[in-house]
Amino acid sequence: MTTISASIDGEPVITRTAMKMEDSLQAFAVRAACFIGELDVPYTEEFDGHDFGATHIVAYLGEEPVGTVRMRWFQSFAMPERLCVIQRFRGHEVGRLLIERCRTLAESRGCNMLYVHVLPRDKVYWEKQGWRCLDPDAPPALNGTIALVRPVKDAEVVQTEQAPEVVMLRQDTATANLRRA
Amino acid sequence: MTTTTTMAPPALTPVVTIKIASTSDEMLQCYALRAAVFMGEQACPYDEEFDGNDYTATHVIMYVDGEPAGSMRLRWFQSFCKFERCVVLRRYRGLGIHHAINAWCKDFARRKGYTKAYIHLQKRHMPMMEKEGFRRVDDTVFKFSDHEYYAIYCDLLPSPDAITLDSAPMVVNRPEDRLDEEGILELSAERGASNPHAPHAPRAERHAN
Repeated sequence: MTTISASIDGEPVITRTAMKMEDSLQAFAVRAACFIGELDVPYTEEFDGHDFGATHIVAYLGEEPVGTVRMRWFQSFAMPERLCVIQRFRGHEVGRLLIERCRTLAESRGCNMLYVHVLPRDKVYWEKQGWRCLDPDAPPALNGTIALVRPVKDAEVVQTEQAPEVVMLRQDTATANLRRA
Repeated sequence: MTTTTTMAPPALTPVVTIKIASTSDEMLQCYALRAAVFMGEQACPYDEEFDGNDYTATHVIMYVDGEPAGSMRLRWFQSFCKFERCVVLRRYRGLGIHHAINAWCKDFARRKGYTKAYIHLQKRHMPMMEKEGFRRVDDTVFKFSDHEYYAIYCDLLPSPDAITLDSAPMVVNRPEDRLDEEGILELSAERGASNPHAPHAPRAERHAN
């Protein structure tokens, strides 16, 4: 198992589960900045009613919240979702760090399987991190996503030459950020 | 004073509703809109956007067809009301609805007895706010959170029914954006005054160790 870490300009990025109101507000603010501010997702879709039945993980650069992910828990799997990183902090593997924190959190709870909905264009990236299509023959869901799963332990990582090193919230801005990184 | 007005662009006629954020859900909507605009679009750090004054302010939320679309934060000083953190989500811009929330906040401040509104305005928005009757306080240009600002103000017409010391006590108790409607506490008056606090008990004698 590789240890995943992230740093920006030499400063380490750390992750914490949200424990207090203020922590949750930081998670919500980061999501609002990315999904509502950048992608024009309506408020009522972004804040869908699941936020108070979920675990929120926040990534910090110093005191600044720079990314977040939400974990929902089911009997047979745990589901990371609403993964995002503030635009100017992208290109430093903060997203990967957040997903790894999801994995270790799931492991500590005895959970065996992780499940995500991702865009088909990002499939190869996820496969390189050990994820597999739940059903390779299934067409994308109504919202255009496909379902991937990954065992919490011992995922077999595929060495794919073509796999990108990052996935993007939005293609155009992410490219600019990558160049900077 | 919760107003529902129909705006008039011919292509679409969105229903704009403005009210005080009076529940934690509505507060969260205000915060999310500010995060979307200031953190998402203007790269503002979290600690500068949520600066410690959110729990000493009145938050106003604006809906377009039921969807959170804009908000404003109001802080109350002795001689003026400060309009801050005004946002309209990108997808609702161009409808002119910032005029609606400005007008609502001016009326709201007037009703509370204020005759001056004060703003720290990003320089680039000056033409827009001049149309609303705002003028610069002086020639000073100051900078914070990566923008240049003017201090501007606007005189508000004194409201004939402003809240003062002479207002009926139970009117003062009403939700501040619905001062003309009977409030929940007036309804409670029907129960009478049974004074249901615990009877005064004599203090237990204290014993030294």
